[in-house]
Amino acid sequence: MKLVIDESRCKGCNLCVLVCPYGIFQEGTELNSRGIVTPVLDRPERCTNCRLQALYGRMLCGVCHMICPDQAIAWVEERPFEPHKVEVEF
Amino acid sequence: MIAPDWLRDDRLPHIYCTGCGNGTVINCTLGAVEEMGWKREETVFVSGIGCSSRAPGYILTDSLHTTHGRALAFATGVKMARPDLNVVVFTGDGDLAAIGGNHFIHACRRNVDMTVVCMNNHIYGMTGGQGSPTTPQGAISTTTPYGMSEPAFDLAELAVAAGANYVARWTSYHVKELTKAVAAGLQTPGLAFIEVRTQCPTNYGRHNKLRRVSEMIEHLRSHAMLVEKRDRLIQEGKPVPDDIFTVGELVRRNRPAMGVKP
Repeated sequence: MKLVIDESRCKGCNLCVLVCPYGIFQEGTELNSRGIVTPVLDRPERCTNCRLQALYGRMLCGVCHMICPDQAIAWVEERPFEPHKVEVEF
Repeated sequence: MIAPDWLRDDRLPHIYCTGCGNGTVINCTLGAVEEMGWKREETVFVSGIGCSSRAPGYILTDSLHTTHGRALAFATGVKMARPDLNVVVFTGDGDLAAIGGNHFIHACRRNVDMTVVCMNNHIYGMTGGQGSPTTPQGAISTTTPYGMSEPAFDLAELAVAAGANYVARWTSYHVKELTKAVAAGLQTPGLAFIEVRTQCPTNYGRHNKLRRVSEMIEHLRSHAMLVEKRDRLIQEGKPVPDDIFTVGELVRRNRPAMGVKP
């Protein structure tokens, strides 16, 4: 599973930034095509729901999904061999 | 988790302002309805007029968007005509407390089997921020530019006094607790009333030094006090701050209800 923000629905209220216990959502800086600053995801693979939802078979944390007033946050199934952004720290 | 098939995808994004709490309440209510396992054909959402009352327009079930303040009267009619339907009413504070006050207390008195979710944003949001019966004392709105001088209505206590079977109050910050409260209300036979304090950054927060959504949510969170804690403070003889409001389950009882599913 992976965490996605639906750019066509998000209005940029940054409530997810406030509630995420892992600090995955960060306030964005760039306007998108609708003129809205949407939050950006910082290493979304840390999200407990992404990792363990299939194992437990239920929603685990999901506070961002519930509090999002625009129904913009969801988890989608990953396609096989999807490219990942990897940051190497030295 | 809300399955996306409960929402009308072609109507989204909705008209609510950035950071409005009404969308959160829709999420929590739909989560609770989903938990109950109700089918879309046997669920009806009823609403009146106002920001909050636009909610059923985004939900893919049969719904009634009725006249100002009369949502409960229409919902009573639906329930009396078809007791097999599950009725959920979305309403706002201006809708429920101001113009629909009598319908509210009489629906509580009759104990009609439905769930009322009141999104209390302390103001008439849609018409430009006029003061409503639930505007807190001292708050500034467009009709009370020197601060509200009248005391505010406590809707949950009113429902307890009028005789509702289940009464709870939460804020739009407490999403998990709110979902559980709505689910408990849906299970209870008789009228279940859930008051949700939501943020209105555009029309309430802007005039009251809470312009940012996060400030408004923080204000709600820090001013909410659990009923149990309030009772404990009173028992211990300690002072209870006057600017807080109680959250939690206020009453759960078994008065005879009307229109319960046979």
